[in-house]
Amino acid sequence: MLLLRADTNGGQRRTGYEDLADLVASVEALGEEDGWSGDLTFRISLVIDELVQNVVDYAYNDTPGDVEVAVTSREETVVIEIVDDGIPFDPLTDAAPPDLTSPIESRPIGGLGVHFTKTLMDDVEYRRESDQNRLKIVTRKRPSE
Amino acid sequence: MAISAERADGTVIAKADGRIDSSNSREFHSELEAVVTDSDAALVLDFEDLAYISSAGMRVILLTAKSLQKSGMKFVLCSMNDSIREVFKISGFDKIIDIHNSQVEALAAVGA
Repeated sequence: MLLLRADTNGGQRRTGYEDLADLVASVEALGEEDGWSGDLTFRISLVIDELVQNVVDYAYNDTPGDVEVAVTSREETVVIEIVDDGIPFDPLTDAAPPDLTSPIESRPIGGLGVHFTKTLMDDVEYRRESDQNRLKIVTRKRPSE
Repeated sequence: MAISAERADGTVIAKADGRIDSSNSREFHSELEAVVTDSDAALVLDFEDLAYISSAGMRVILLTAKSLQKSGMKFVLCSMNDSIREVFKISGFDKIIDIHNSQVEALAAVGA
């Protein structure tokens, strides 16, 4: 299991790792050890990147706070858990769905990070518990038939 | 991430390598803006050497597409890996931006 404790400070990210790049490098190392495909490593890195960045940007209203990331490789799945003590935010219901169809000139910017998570992972669960936002994300190592 | 660019007959071919995420997307944006001039007719953005892009990078792609469309410049992408291609697909960007399998096809598409 890989564990990150990060603390956010007014949009500046300070982590147990030097930065998110270090966390991603550790996720890649875990994937290599565990024989993940390049695409699986890409999807997991992307989802962690997007969700940790969301916490940094929105959870703490410019005050320092923590975000914990745990990545567990199981036999057939990879489980990602992301926990923060910030304001209640359920990305499954509180994030506006992105506009995927408007033409270039009217296509709004943003809103893709949560959409990536929902689309690229097999299961996403949110719980608000002990004043914490707790996200549990599961993806199968191999695409389902 | 670094961008290298070459220009032939008003078409700029820019290659981005490495990773584009929230830590360097601003730099990616400013470098991309710096490689095109008003007299250029087309921008081909070649992702052959790009390993990774997050929503922060996709934001820059959309901003660039909007701004080039306004100035009447063609904008096409090419040579992206399968994972990046999937990200473009689920973003719905493949419906609004031309994506080609190779630089040769991309250049043909902009008439270069």
